[in-house]
Amino acid sequence: MIRVEGLSVNFGAVKALRNVSFEAPTGQITAVLGANGAGKTTLLRTISGLVSPQSGTIHLDDVALVGMATENIARLGVGHVPEGRGVIEELTVEQNLRLGALSSKVNLNEGLEEQYARFPVLGERRRKYCATLSGGERQMLAMARALIAKPRVLLLDEPSLGLAPQVTSQLMKAIRKLCETQSLTVILVEQNAKSALRIAHQALVLHLGSVVAIGDASSVADDEDLRRYYLGVVVT
Amino acid sequence: MDWWRSLRTQETTHSRFIGMLSLTVLTLVITFFLPPVADSQLAGGAAIAIVVLGLSWLTGWSGQISLGNSGFMAVGAYAAGIWAHHHTSTPLVFTLILALVVGGISGLIIAIPSTRLRGPYLAGMTLAFSAAVTPLAQNFSSVTGGEGGLFFNSLVTPKWFLHLFSGPYAAINANAQWSADLAVVVAGVMFFFMANLFHSRTGRAMRLVRDNDVAAELMGVNLARARTSAFVVSAAFAGIGGALYSLLQASVRPETFPIGLSITLLTLMVLGGIGTLSGAVIGGIIYSFSTNLVAHVNSLTGVNPTSNVGANMQGMIFSVLLIVTMLFAPRGIVSLKTPLRRLFRARPLAPAAKEVH
Amino acid sequence: MSVFLSSPLMHNIFAGFAQGIIYSLVALSLVIIWQSTHVLNFAQGAMAMIATYIGMTEIDRGIGYWWCVIISVVVGMTLGGVTERVLIRPLYGKPEINPIVVMIGFLGFLEALAAAIWTSTTRNIAEPFSQIYFKSNGHLVFLSSFVIFQIVLAMGIMLSVAALFRFTKLGLQLRASALAPEVSRLLGVRVSRMLTIGWTLSAGVGAIAAVIIASGNFGLFPANMDGIFVASFIAAAVGGLESPLGAVAGGLIIGLTEQFIVAYWSPDVAPLGGIIILVIALMIRPQGLFTKNTIRRV
Ligand SMILES: Nc1ncnc2c1ncn2[C@@H]1O[C@H](COP(=O)(O)OP(=O)(O)O)[C@@H](O)[C@H]1O
Ligand SMILES: [Mg+2]
Repeated sequence: MIRVEGLSVNFGAVKALRNVSFEAPTGQITAVLGANGAGKTTLLRTISGLVSPQSGTIHLDDVALVGMATENIARLGVGHVPEGRGVIEELTVEQNLRLGALSSKVNLNEGLEEQYARFPVLGERRRKYCATLSGGERQMLAMARALIAKPRVLLLDEPSLGLAPQVTSQLMKAIRKLCETQSLTVILVEQNAKSALRIAHQALVLHLGSVVAIGDASSVADDEDLRRYYLGVVVT
Repeated sequence: MDWWRSLRTQETTHSRFIGMLSLTVLTLVITFFLPPVADSQLAGGAAIAIVVLGLSWLTGWSGQISLGNSGFMAVGAYAAGIWAHHHTSTPLVFTLILALVVGGISGLIIAIPSTRLRGPYLAGMTLAFSAAVTPLAQNFSSVTGGEGGLFFNSLVTPKWFLHLFSGPYAAINANAQWSADLAVVVAGVMFFFMANLFHSRTGRAMRLVRDNDVAAELMGVNLARARTSAFVVSAAFAGIGGALYSLLQASVRPETFPIGLSITLLTLMVLGGIGTLSGAVIGGIIYSFSTNLVAHVNSLTGVNPTSNVGANMQGMIFSVLLIVTMLFAPRGIVSLKTPLRRLFRARPLAPAAKEVH
Repeated sequence: MSVFLSSPLMHNIFAGFAQGIIYSLVALSLVIIWQSTHVLNFAQGAMAMIATYIGMTEIDRGIGYWWCVIISVVVGMTLGGVTERVLIRPLYGKPEINPIVVMIGFLGFLEALAAAIWTSTTRNIAEPFSQIYFKSNGHLVFLSSFVIFQIVLAMGIMLSVAALFRFTKLGLQLRASALAPEVSRLLGVRVSRMLTIGWTLSAGVGAIAAVIIASGNFGLFPANMDGIFVASFIAAAVGGLESPLGAVAGGLIIGLTEQFIVAYWSPDVAPLGGIIILVIALMIRPQGLFTKNTIRRV
C-alpha cells in the first residue's frame, strides 16, 4: 500500500503538486488522470525519490519514502516504468532485463523464463538491441524489466502513449491480470482516461497539481462534469 | 564584421573611452613611483592581462575553452620577433599589429576544424596545438633561431624620456619605466577595444550562443561563424600579448611558451573572474606580483626558495587556487564583495558571467 | 624472412605499434571516464604519474618489480576514486567547462607536487625485461623482450576491460549508469557508486600505462605523461570518445603515424601529425570514426 499525505512539489514558481493526499491499496489499480501538465509524472517521480517534495509524506506500508535515495526505493520493491519507457536502446533486450533483476534477490534465469513466457515476443528478440524495437515491444520490455524484480508496487507513467488502440487494450488487460494475480499495488498514470478507467479500481483526477476528484473508478467514470471539464473524454 | 558597425553606433563608447583612458593614465602615473623591478613586473603583467582578456572573451562570452592560447602567444611572439630581428627600425605599432594579425590567422586555422567541437574536445584539440607549437619552433631553426631563440631590441627609450630621470641609475629607471608605460598603453587600447566588443551586438549575440545555441540559431546567428570569430579574436589578443611579452624581454625562445603557460592563463582568468574586464586586470596584477607572493608564502612557511619545494611553490599555489576558485567561487574575485571590487571599478563593465556554459 | 623482419620498415612498424598500444591503453582509460561521467580527465596522465612514483620509487625494491606494479595500480585506483568523490562530484550538473578547469588545475598541482617531492630529473626504473633486440640468422629483429612485455601487458589489460564490460554484472551496471543514469537508479542501480568505480577502474588502467612507460627508455619524470596524454586524447577523439574499440584503434593509428614522421622527417613535427590526423578524421566523420549512433552533443 502506498499512502501519500499533504504532498506539495514546487519547481521554482511552478507548483506542480499542491497538497495531494490519497491511498493506493494493495492489490488494486489506482488510476491517476489529468490533462498534460497536471502533475501526474511529478507525482510518480516524487514517489520514486527523483524529485524531493517541499512538504508532505509518502509511505510504502510503514516505511517513509521521502528523503530516501531512488535506488533504495527501487530496492524496497517499487517498480517504476517511466514516461517514455526508459528502455536503454544501446543494450539488448536481455541486458535490459538482466539490469532489472540485478538489484533484487530473484533468480535471474527463472525471472527471464517467466518474463519470456509472459511476453513471448521479448524471448524472440532477446539478443536484439532495443533501438530496433517497436513502441509496443518497448512498452512490454519496460514492464517486464520492472516485473522481473518482483516488485510490490508498480508505477506506470502513460503506458498507452503512442500505442495502437488494440495494443492499448491488450496492455490494460495484462495490467489488470498482473495486479490480481500478484497482489500488486498499481498506480497507473494515464491521459487516456477511458481505457484506464475500464481496468482501475479507483481513480484520482489531478488538475494543475491539485486533486479535484477521488473515488471508485466507476463513479469517476460516471461523473459527467469530471469527464467534460478534466478528462476531455466523451463516453457515449 | 558586425562589431565594426555596432562599435560606432554604441552611444556609450565615449564613456568607456573616458573610463579606460583614466585607468590607463592612473597606471602610468603609478609607474613613476615604482622601482624598476616592479615596473618590469607590471609590464609583463600588462602583456599577460591582454592575453587573459582574450581568453576571457572566448570562455566567458562564447562559452568555448582554449588551452592553446600559449600557442597563439608563441605565434604572435615569433611573428613579431622574426620581423623585429630583421627590421630593427620598424615602428613598434606596426610590429604589434603584425602579431595581432598573424595570431588571428593562426586562430582561424585552428578554429575551422575545432568549432564543430565543444567543451572537452575543443580543450583537448587546443592543448594538442599548444603542445605542437614549441617543437615546431625548434624544427624550423633557420627562421626561428631554434633552441637559442631570436634577439631584438625594439623598445628603445627616447631621449626626452631619459632626461626625466637623474642619478646613478637613471638609465635603468628610465628603460624599465618606458617599457612598462608602453605595455600599459597597449593594454589600455586592447581593453578599450574589448570593452566595446562586450557591449556590441556581436557581444550580445555571443552570450546567446553561449547560453542557448538553439535560440541563437533561431534568431539568425550563424553558430559556426560566431564561434570561429570568437576564437579568432581570442587568438589575436594572445598574439599581440605574446609579442608584447617577448618585445619586453628583447628575445623569443621556444621555452618562453610552455603548455604550463596555458594553465597559468586559465588560472588567472578564473581567479579574476571569467568574462569581465576587471577580472583580466586582476589576473594581470596577480601575474605581475606572483613572484613576490610566492616569496612571501615561502618565507611565511619557512620553505627554502631554492629548494625543490620552494621552486615548485608557485605551481602548487596556482593550481590549488584554480581548483578552489572553480569549486567554491566560479565567478572569481570580481564576484566577491571585497574592497578590491570597488578599487578596480569592478562593477564589471559587462555583467559577470553567471555560470559558464 | 629475417631480412624482411630487420628492415627499417618493420622496425618502424614494431616501434609504432609498441608506442601506439600505450596510447590505446590511456585512450581506453579516457573513454571509460568519459562514458561514465562525461568528463574528459585532463589529469589522467598526471594521476598515473603520481601512482608510478609512489609505487615504483618509494617502495623498497626488495619486494620485487611486480609487487611495485601492483602497488602503483592500487595507488592509482585509489586516487581515481577519491578524485571523483572530492573534485568531480560537486560539479555534476554544472557547465561542462567547470570540471575541465578543475582537472587542469589538478594536473598542474600533481606535476608541481611531484617535482617538489621527487625533483624534475628523470629517474630510470630497472626494466623488468631486456631491451636488447632479438637476432634471427644474424639479423637484428627490432623486437625485444621489453617490447613484447609492453604489448602483451597492454593487450591483456584491454581484453580484461572488454570482458568486464561485456560479461559481468558490474560491467552491465557501469554501462547502464553511463547511458541512462536516471533509469538505472529506478532499477535500483547505485549509480553514484558506479561513477566512482568507473573512475577507479580507469585510473588503474592509466597507472599500468604509466608504469610501462616509466619502465622503458623514457623513464619517469613529473611531466612524462604530458605528451602521452595529448596523443592519447587525440586517439580517443579520433575514435569518438564513446567507443573503447575506437580508442584502441585510434591509439595504434597515432602511434604508427608518429613513428613514421619521426623516422622520415623529424621528431619535432610528430605532435603536428596527430593533430592533422584528428582534423582529417573529424572531416570524414565528425562524430568519431567508431561512434555508432550519429547523435552526439559536440
Ligand atoms: N524538472 C522540472 N522543472 C520545472 N518544471 C517542471 C519540471 N517537471 C515538471 N515541471 C512542471 O510541472 C508541471 C507538471 O508537470 P508533469 O508532472 O510532467 O505533468 P503531467 O505528467 O501531468 O503532464 C508542469 O507545469 C511542468 O512544466
Ligand atoms: Mg507526464
